[in-house]
Amino acid sequence: MTVAADNPALVVDATVEVSEVSKWFGQKVAVSDVTCSFGPGLTGLLGPNGAGKTTLLRMLTGLILPSQGELRIMGSDPRRNVSRYREIGFVPEEPALYNTLTGTEYVEYSAKLSGLANPGQAAQRALAEVGLTEDAGRPVGGFSKGMRQRTKVAAALVHQPHILVLDEPLNGTDPVQRAHLIALFRELAAQGNTVIVSSHVLQEVERMTERVIAIVDGKLAAAGDIVAIRRAMSDIPYRVLIESDRSRVLAAALIDHEAVFSVTVQDAALHVETSDLAGLGSAIPRVARDLDVRLTKFAPEDESLESVFRYLVRGR
Amino acid sequence: MTPFLAIVRVTIRQTLGVKRAIGLGLLSLSAAGTYFLTALGQGAGRHPNAAFDVFLGLSVGTFLNIIIPVVTLIIATSVLGDERRDTTMSFLVLRPLKRITIAAAKVTAAILESFFLTGVGALALGIVSAPRLGTTAYIVPLLVGTLVATAAYCAVFVPIGYLLKRATLIGLTYVFVWENGIGGAIPALAGISPWRIGISAMAAIAPSDFVTQLPQFAIGDLQPGAAGAALKALILITLSSVALASILRRRDLAV
Repeated sequence: MTVAADNPALVVDATVEVSEVSKWFGQKVAVSDVTCSFGPGLTGLLGPNGAGKTTLLRMLTGLILPSQGELRIMGSDPRRNVSRYREIGFVPEEPALYNTLTGTEYVEYSAKLSGLANPGQAAQRALAEVGLTEDAGRPVGGFSKGMRQRTKVAAALVHQPHILVLDEPLNGTDPVQRAHLIALFRELAAQGNTVIVSSHVLQEVERMTERVIAIVDGKLAAAGDIVAIRRAMSDIPYRVLIESDRSRVLAAALIDHEAVFSVTVQDAALHVETSDLAGLGSAIPRVARDLDVRLTKFAPEDESLESVFRYLVRGR
Repeated sequence: MTPFLAIVRVTIRQTLGVKRAIGLGLLSLSAAGTYFLTALGQGAGRHPNAAFDVFLGLSVGTFLNIIIPVVTLIIATSVLGDERRDTTMSFLVLRPLKRITIAAAKVTAAILESFFLTGVGALALGIVSAPRLGTTAYIVPLLVGTLVATAAYCAVFVPIGYLLKRATLIGLTYVFVWENGIGGAIPALAGISPWRIGISAMAAIAPSDFVTQLPQFAIGDLQPGAAGAALKALILITLSSVALASILRRRDLAV
């Protein structure tokens, strides 16, 4: 995936294109004028509940129609060209299971609907990929939530699509299953498939990918590399953690620095808010040397996805 | 197995549970049961035409007019309506399948499943009534009429089940207001009434007594004709499938 130089929401090698798309339900605007694209690799789609992520993913797959704008999967609208669905695997957020079928039957049904020549074999492969082979003979109605999620992932993977759209695929999974699925998604992305994952669990998205598209209130709030997004928020001071052997001495010196907004001392740690991360980074060694303070740690505190996301949501 | 057959098979399995099969099966058999009890009550040899009158009333007035619509309404509104309610629409439609394939498979599943239940009821009514009617000649006509009416009703109810949240209520209103009210008052509308199309098919191959005794209300302007009735049912099925396919193409499939 190569991000366009002039717009981090767009990629050069796009397989999924979203152009000025809006969706409203009566008076409620769910998605407003979103333009972005997705290419080979893994992209996280972020947003608080009700932000419009699910609506956007449903439009991507053709499940619902945009009120305005255009969506293309590998160059065409799947609603008009249903053969495109050979290339798409979708895991919806909702249950979407036939409770009378066993796990194997469910995944086999998915394979049959995709027109595979050997649905039984394909189903076994997909179930093995999600680690569900042992329990697949039981009716899905009796599955735990984690098993249901994995069954849905297996059904989405059974026809080996090049584009995977996953709406909260890790919901209800335990830590072991989650790690397994994250590794699977990363592997599929590494193989050159386009994998789009929406999640509200930011740490999970952070473990999966660096490229995110953030949706807030139906609008595109930010896109691109998490650190780059953070650094583009020039109006929000950076939080930096500094640890040293003489915190209070260093705090007194830093408070006079023109780029420093605030300093909080907490045991051996200083939490510094600054508008100029690079300037502070270059000034700190000099200040420490002059004061004979030994620095043990200097680390940005809010270049995590969670911090970035918090800023994005608060800013609106 | 083709995707079409896979959809038919899973739809039947998903919508025809044991409880529903027993409940609707008993409803379907209730006409035969009623005939049996009425025959017991009348006793042997009394009212020579009574056995035929009871059969006519039960087959045309109760079975084809009430039981078949109710059974098909419950089955047909759920074949696609349940996909929407159970949030499985995405699983079904995000496939490299023509929408008409999905729509036709759903209508076919509704017809097979409904006829499995209504056919048993028709067969039972034909068998139970045969000794008192003195003939088994009504069994096949009743089965044919049942098949045609079931198919025609399914063609109407499958789209209603997908499009409307209160599909059962709307369907019952359709049966009682349209079929029995407006359809009875305007005989020219008989050609688009599933009940009357079924009667037309049955009358075409039933003994002549059946046709002569048939009330005008029940058949309207239709002439007895199995081929014509089957063709009308086929047209309804085709229209229903095409309309459903169009809906699957043009409407939001999840909310």
